[in-house]
Amino acid sequence: MFDSDLKKKDIFSKFDKLAERFQAVKAAGKTPFGMVFEDILSPTRALVGGREVILAGTNNYLGLTYSEEVKTAAKNAIDQHGSATTGSRLANGTFSEHVLLEEDLKAYFGAQSAIVYTTGYQANLAAISALVGRGDHLLIDADSHACIYDGCRLSDAETIRFRHNSPEDLAKRLARLPEEGARLVVVEGLYSMLGDVAPIDEFVAVAREHGALLYVDEAHSVGCYGERGRGIAQAQGVLDQVDFLSGTFSKSFASIGGFCVSRHVEFEYTRITARPYLFTASGSPSNMAAARAALKQIETGVDLGKILWTRAHQLHAGLIAAGFMPASGPGPIIAIPRPDEMTAVREWNQLMEAGIYVNLAVPPATPHAKSLLRLSVSAAHSEDEINQILAAFRKLNS
Amino acid sequence: MKLDQASLFEEISKLLAAHSNTGITIVPETRIGADLEIDSVEIFDIVMELEDLYDISFPIEQASNIDTVRDLVATIRQLANV
Repeated sequence: MFDSDLKKKDIFSKFDKLAERFQAVKAAGKTPFGMVFEDILSPTRALVGGREVILAGTNNYLGLTYSEEVKTAAKNAIDQHGSATTGSRLANGTFSEHVLLEEDLKAYFGAQSAIVYTTGYQANLAAISALVGRGDHLLIDADSHACIYDGCRLSDAETIRFRHNSPEDLAKRLARLPEEGARLVVVEGLYSMLGDVAPIDEFVAVAREHGALLYVDEAHSVGCYGERGRGIAQAQGVLDQVDFLSGTFSKSFASIGGFCVSRHVEFEYTRITARPYLFTASGSPSNMAAARAALKQIETGVDLGKILWTRAHQLHAGLIAAGFMPASGPGPIIAIPRPDEMTAVREWNQLMEAGIYVNLAVPPATPHAKSLLRLSVSAAHSEDEINQILAAFRKLNS
Repeated sequence: MKLDQASLFEEISKLLAAHSNTGITIVPETRIGADLEIDSVEIFDIVMELEDLYDISFPIEQASNIDTVRDLVATIRQLANV
């Protein structure tokens, strides 16, 4: 064996246990983590293995990926500005589309500052890591998404976790902190795995009482909750008291990219300090234009939110009637906890056989080591498609 | 709350044993990940329990540097200013 082979073996040996687990999942049927959609037919239909399946796990909450307005805006942007920016926002990568989108977001949320990032992941990475530094304190919900954890790692601040959705636990941990250093509390509006909603109004009060600023990630909730889809903080009447609100364009906005808005104009300074904003190419003009067109529809178009909630209630009630207990109340995300990983894998395969695609979510991506069948509802789902999803679930229990 | 090394070791060992399925006897050199098979996510939950037990703030960045039970005891003593 050559030396290079020996080194290679050392590098990859840490994946041995993971590979074993992956093989077990693969042996049970299709590979849920490498799904190839050969063709996307609509926001709710795709071809997999030559067969048509109903999509019930794509986070396409408003179904705008096939909106004529959104598609036309994206095509026009390519014609007018080309396919890519080929540069950072701070160099040659700020086009009029980026600035216009930021202006639209400021107006939509009533914010003083809005910054657009290349992806939603980078939005949290950039904003969190730039807002706090050495000697500061981050307090994050224990069930936070990986991009929040990674944002914390990239900052030099000290990170303290508090118990999921517990303002009381947050208050206790804030009270233990030394006086020195800034405090930033980070929560999500709607949690992506279990679909549970945060008491943002209560977090606002606790943060204020303890001299902390509040950062809310509404990646999954903007477009689905609140007046004109402005999210859970707005629905709970505290949007104007949230210091920073981040989100993504890859769900309700039918595009790709991320944003963070703030009621503090000083947030603009992070444009020159946030590494994930500076050291990467900016979003393509077509993605920015698609997000702008989607935002316009969310604000002024047909009430997609109402249709989404009708379908969410239909699916939630139907799953309970079929003998499945969702982890949370009705909403755009409906997660069904399964007794163990292999049961979830087997049932995921049975659903695929029945022509239904859902997400398989397993630890460590899930809270409390739960194995989940995770569904996301779309305003584009027809009543009949929801009935077909429910029929496939009933078959699992028969 | 006793914060001397022996009392801390005894209490922390009990806590770690409750999170481990290995059933092995815990000594100061026991590695939390490799020997007790407690994964990084669960370590973070244990950190929250330790914060409440000793009324301290335990940043998760410090947990990432801990390998053995001895390291954990030393970190708790340092955070509690013992």
